[in-house]
Amino acid sequence: MRKKTKITIDPKYVLVVILILCLVLGVVSYRFADKMQPVRSVAGSLITPMQKGINSIGSNLAKQLDYLTTMRKTVDENKKLKEEIAELSAENKLLQQDKYELENFRKLYDLDEQYAGYPKVAARVISGDRNNWNKEFVIDKGTEDGIRKNMNVMAGDGLVGIVIEANKSYAKVRSIIDDNSNIYGTVLKHSENCIITGNLKLMSDGVIEVTGIKGDVKIEDGAEVVTSQISEKYLPGILIGYVRDIKKDSSNITQTGYLSPVVDFSSLSMVFVITKVKDSAELEEMLK
Amino acid sequence: MKRCISLIFLILVCFVLQTSVFTHIRLSNIMPNLLVILVSASGFMYGRKYGMFVGVICGGLIDLIYGEIIGVSIFIYVIIGYINGFANKLYYKDDLSIPLFAVAVSDLLYGMLYYICHFLLRSRFDILFYIIHIMIPEMIYTVAVGIVIYKILQWLEDRLYPQQEVPLAKGDKSY
Repeated sequence: MRKKTKITIDPKYVLVVILILCLVLGVVSYRFADKMQPVRSVAGSLITPMQKGINSIGSNLAKQLDYLTTMRKTVDENKKLKEEIAELSAENKLLQQDKYELENFRKLYDLDEQYAGYPKVAARVISGDRNNWNKEFVIDKGTEDGIRKNMNVMAGDGLVGIVIEANKSYAKVRSIIDDNSNIYGTVLKHSENCIITGNLKLMSDGVIEVTGIKGDVKIEDGAEVVTSQISEKYLPGILIGYVRDIKKDSSNITQTGYLSPVVDFSSLSMVFVITKVKDSAELEEMLK
Repeated sequence: MKRCISLIFLILVCFVLQTSVFTHIRLSNIMPNLLVILVSASGFMYGRKYGMFVGVICGGLIDLIYGEIIGVSIFIYVIIGYINGFANKLYYKDDLSIPLFAVAVSDLLYGMLYYICHFLLRSRFDILFYIIHIMIPEMIYTVAVGIVIYKILQWLEDRLYPQQEVPLAKGDKSY
């Protein structure tokens, strides 16, 4: 006969132990973030291959669904678009004039050269967010491909975000529309600095927040915002988006408004990582 | 033991599905939370200990791969698993309404805890907005997907632990 000598512990105590463990783990992982890296790497290298495989199925599924829904919409849209074309062609003429102006400014800032000058690595987005609260994603290139923490990520010609964690074969990117994201930007035309903050509340409107613009500057809708020279982690001169609805704060000292990013975050599949880290430590040493 | 292994396998599947498939098929920018369903259902079906077990693994996986500080998600999921374990007494195999209600409450709880841990601490005070625009849509979507996952769990349970025949007569040899 088999004797049962199972020790039973009240789940209450197990819960308490786990909660204390959570606290300890939290403190440890915060304090010794570098030493936790290998542990994360192991977990990640287990999961990311699976995600990579499944992700293609997901995106295909999404494409099919998109196709169905868009079919219905196309008819309505077609009508609307025709009206819009007339409007746009008029607007286009105006914009063309702006473009000449813009090109002049770009030359002024040597933007073109800088863009081309940054070394880039292409990467595929292999998994999206884990819940509805965050806007972080994982790409399939890691330290093996020369990706490091704090490298800037672009798609098309706009800023997507920053690498917040680089592991051996994958890296985690926080997009600029994440609620945790804060970037120093410059309004190109006026060379005014501002702070660009991701905001979950505004996400459904497709915009993010711009704050801290000097109060006396008059900025029109559609002004370009690029990453600033004074930013600690972002390389200067990467296009972020266009501002709109700039209003004075109640304090009258600063202005606040919205920014619509150039990148379409709903359908990111390929991104470019600029394999150059803005090294503020180097800068500080030079200044010493 | 069999149950633990099958649960770990299910967690992996759900985790990969959630991060790579459901992100593509969002409804009005909201996706369901599969892991909450899993934690809630296992707590509900098997008791507090299993709820916490699944909670630790789900939370740990998320923290290791996505989180900055390890422990926050574990904390959230373990509490959900533990609380669902209390409802184990109400577990009735053919009844779907109570487990789905449990999933709904769990998902709201997840939303609230996540909001407190990640948003309230950064002085984002507009809780009503987050409840209406994120928590409640997510809850509805999660409950809808919950039906499927709950059925899968039950089917698995039947396969792993087939129901034993209960002897009725005294002289039954099979006993």
